[in-house]
Amino acid sequence: MAYRTKADFLLWLAVVGLAGWIIPGGGHFLIQQPKRGIVIFVTITLTFCLGLYIGSIGVIDSVGGWAWYLGQMIATPAVRILDGMTRSGTYISRGRPCDLGQIYTAVAGLLNLLSIISAMYMAYSGRGELIGQEDENA
Amino acid sequence: MPEWNAILASFTTPEPVGTTALSMVLMFPLLLAIAIIYKTTKLRAFFWKTMVRETIILFGVLSGFMILAIVVLNLVVWLMTS
Repeated sequence: MAYRTKADFLLWLAVVGLAGWIIPGGGHFLIQQPKRGIVIFVTITLTFCLGLYIGSIGVIDSVGGWAWYLGQMIATPAVRILDGMTRSGTYISRGRPCDLGQIYTAVAGLLNLLSIISAMYMAYSGRGELIGQEDENA
Repeated sequence: MPEWNAILASFTTPEPVGTTALSMVLMFPLLLAIAIIYKTTKLRAFFWKTMVRETIILFGVLSGFMILAIVVLNLVVWLMTS
């Protein structure tokens, strides 16, 4: 893809990164890597949901567990909505289920960070487009 | 609709997790997720067959090291307490 200016190119990288944050795997979809995007979306969503299932939505706590919350926020900005729901203190999670839930959800976030970096790097180097064509020809 | 509500409700209460050896099984889905995402981002060309094979190998290596760590730590505790 030809970019008119450097600013356009930087904006494209930012859009790819933002898409990968809003929807896990979204960045890979934008750079013509739908197979990678699907695998990332399914894996990160399932890991995050499993964490919520084990520990309940109470594991999202921006006050008591702010360090975990930072990792959880990288998974998707929708975590902010869940945090708003749990602020009332209705959904409490403690002990081992809470620990496991926090680990699962935060690791899902960190894995999404890896995916975002991967998508942005592929967009930067143009690798995604080339490999996409190789896949098509195979 | 009641089924949907039941599914949503299951996310509002924590699941009981004991301190038995069986609870260690919960590490495997996480290891699998790590192996899948790592290989998805790392493979130069994405082909399903290669992807699955590489993921299984990495998952096996990760699981093997985790089990080894569990055995070694248990041995250390057993030696210290016996």
